[in-house]
Amino acid sequence: MDAFAQAGKTAVMQNIHGTMQFLQRFPPFNQMENAHLAYLVEQCQLRFYAAGESIIKPADGPVEHFHIVKQGRVVGERTHGVKGSTETTFEITSGECFPLAALLGERATRTEHLAAEDTFCLQLNKAAFIRLFALSDVFRDFALRGVSSLLDQVNQQVQRRAVETLGNQYSLNTRLGELAMRHPVVCDPDTPLREAVRLMHDQQVGSIVIVDPQRAPIGIFTLRDLRQVVAEASTDFAAPIATHMTAAPFALTPQHSAFDAAIAMTERHIAHVCLVEDQRLCGVVSERDLFSLQRIDLVHLARTIRHAPRIEQLVSLRGEIGQLVERMLAHGASSTQITHIITLLNDHTGCRVIELAIQDKGDPGVAFSWLCFGSEGRREQTLHTDQDNGILFEARDAAHAAEIRGVLLPLAQHINQGLAQCGFSLCKGNIMAGNPELCLSRAEWARRFAAFIREATPENLLASSIYFDLRVVWGDEQPCEQLRQSILEQVGDNRLFQRMMAGNALRQRPPVGRLREFVLTRQGNDKAATLDLKVQGLTPFVDGARLLALANGISANNTLERLRQLVTREVIDPLDGGAYEEAYQFIQQTRMQQHQAQTRQNQPYSNRVDPDSLNNLDRRILRESLRQAQRLQSSLALRYQL
Amino acid sequence: MSLFAWLRPNHSPLTDIQRQRLAQLAAPVDWHDHNLRAQRWVVLDLETSGLNLNRDQVLSIGAVVIEDGAIDFAQQFERTLHQPDHKTSPSVLLHGLGPSAIAAGCDPVDALLDFMDFVGDSPLLAFHASFDQRMLARALKDNLGYKLQHGFLDVAELAPLLNPAVVLRDAGLDDWTACFGLQAAERHHASADALVTAELALILFSQARRQGLDSPLQLEQRLGNWRRRRQMSHSF
Repeated sequence: MDAFAQAGKTAVMQNIHGTMQFLQRFPPFNQMENAHLAYLVEQCQLRFYAAGESIIKPADGPVEHFHIVKQGRVVGERTHGVKGSTETTFEITSGECFPLAALLGERATRTEHLAAEDTFCLQLNKAAFIRLFALSDVFRDFALRGVSSLLDQVNQQVQRRAVETLGNQYSLNTRLGELAMRHPVVCDPDTPLREAVRLMHDQQVGSIVIVDPQRAPIGIFTLRDLRQVVAEASTDFAAPIATHMTAAPFALTPQHSAFDAAIAMTERHIAHVCLVEDQRLCGVVSERDLFSLQRIDLVHLARTIRHAPRIEQLVSLRGEIGQLVERMLAHGASSTQITHIITLLNDHTGCRVIELAIQDKGDPGVAFSWLCFGSEGRREQTLHTDQDNGILFEARDAAHAAEIRGVLLPLAQHINQGLAQCGFSLCKGNIMAGNPELCLSRAEWARRFAAFIREATPENLLASSIYFDLRVVWGDEQPCEQLRQSILEQVGDNRLFQRMMAGNALRQRPPVGRLREFVLTRQGNDKAATLDLKVQGLTPFVDGARLLALANGISANNTLERLRQLVTREVIDPLDGGAYEEAYQFIQQTRMQQHQAQTRQNQPYSNRVDPDSLNNLDRRILRESLRQAQRLQSSLALRYQL
Repeated sequence: MSLFAWLRPNHSPLTDIQRQRLAQLAAPVDWHDHNLRAQRWVVLDLETSGLNLNRDQVLSIGAVVIEDGAIDFAQQFERTLHQPDHKTSPSVLLHGLGPSAIAAGCDPVDALLDFMDFVGDSPLLAFHASFDQRMLARALKDNLGYKLQHGFLDVAELAPLLNPAVVLRDAGLDDWTACFGLQAAERHHASADALVTAELALILFSQARRQGLDSPLQLEQRLGNWRRRRQMSHSF
């Protein structure tokens, strides 16, 4: 008889039941159907490995068994061909499995798996593994995507938790095809304005799309346009709509997400997005669709910030950004999406503060670019942020530069104060545009940056880790790009500077140890020992990505964007790049959730987390993520022979 | 009571099918000198109505198999025996087999035949094996008229033999599982005890291999020597 058909009957056996209960403490087994899990357990063998014993190794040939650690600890050791040194690449403990990739790829493992202590493993033979793979969707998903599928579970958890605080079931990841008006109101370009407005009125819609005979959108006309038309007394309502429409309207495909639309609307200050498939119009999504369905008033918020008449109003809008982040977490936004949104809104706030300052103080009559550095430069800001900014202008010579500086400094100081009012705390290190040393001409900046690279003192290395992530928030971007290109050229040519930066990037060691799960420290009078998610978790990725990007001529600033481009340039392996990205996002997400919880409880922001306060799944993934940081560091150490 | 009653077997006569099954049971084999991994073992734990070897009854049998050096979850044995004249005794507190569970158990003759079928010609392992061996032997004799001749190794003896540095006096299963950091799911249930005994056996076999004792025969002989030495030292 088929072993699986039999499974149900013997599932009552005490030891089968006991082992199932054990496995049900861990993902993915806790999500599997009982019958499938019973089948798995009944097909298992329980094997013992003494400390130091090899469990599987590359020389064994194609992997024949799937292993689950029942008790003990297994480490993966990879030998480096040239140096012959071994590196511990991972650590597997109770409830975790190996080796998935080799088993699915029907190949030998690339890593020797050793028992780090006396260990019991449940072993499932390949035939049973394949059967289970076919039977259980949960198991298949896990086997194919490994820890990534666990990350999905975490995201679902995050969403569930946030939804509990807010009560809403819509997702930002909803496809636009599902949100959009299915039959948008359309007309051809010759339609008289009056007729078009009548169509809109009859259908009670806020927009009409003007299409060509193939139904490709060539323009859009919205209520906002109508207001303007009415305001002009001379308007001829018999004129063709084509004369009043906005030509070449922005379009996305139905496969894009609600998030994509929200971002596009915020960036472009538009309220409608056409949906186009095969060059034919198939729907329209309005700000109202996103707003009413999702209560994401991102677009509205961005516009309100951009048009705030007084600084006081900007200050009051800051609170809404916090609420927005909370709502976005609820809608399943990733940490990247959220930092992106925060950066976007902060940029809008920054721009508005500058514009208001110019209104107040009068136009200085000199063109300048407002720069930001550090996390703001990398577009990785969280709500908890301070100012890192500067001013860049063009000058003929030193005297001219000093003269312009004299004009710009009062304005810059006014802007710094305005930003501080809006919640961007003043920088303790005085990295602010109001500081004469940070209000420089392009030549002065270039000299300063060249000195950082030439004389790699600890201070200069620290400074380069802040300033080299520069970006323009307001004003002309071209001069900043010229500065960046020259930085890239100089760093690319200077192996010594790269090596010093690598040494700098290794200073913060991820808090995972060989023996213990986490290496924690106690701060002051804290009851629980904690680790710092930002300094010990994110910084290794940020520093590593910056170094490799600068060394390889990559001009992107954002850490994830840098990692992606490093993969494209084959500087890092695609699998490693993907793993770093997931790890970075997870740590950032954990940090943001913590910030949100602290806000709700009226506690000060802190990046320190007690791993014991996380649930089993989160703790395991956090440990895995920190291990990825460790791997990135070892690869730097290897690359720069440190 | 007539004299003949003493001679008559104290069980009801076997059915034809039961007699047939009895005749087909595999005979035990001698201790092999092939390596430990090649040997199939049956790890046994019995729950009994008490500790009296002559009076108390087997209430349940739990067994797991070590084959190819690993515990095979596909081969497990678990039966509660129906003992009509069983009276609840204080040991119910230990094994948790209440009168209803015993009443719902299966015919001891069939259960014992099933078990010996499951054992085949394999040697047996148990913790404090002599107790299980003698209880099982009496149950087989009383119910089937069968003489148990399978070899037994005592895990309670193997553990101190292979771990001379560990000082545990009259250590029980709990002491050794704790000593090796084993996690037992639900103790004092025949199957769970058999499983944890088997896990202990896997650790001990691994130690034995490293100490150059890599066959059932060598292990049995070394155990014999160890037992004699211990008795001698005790007699002084």
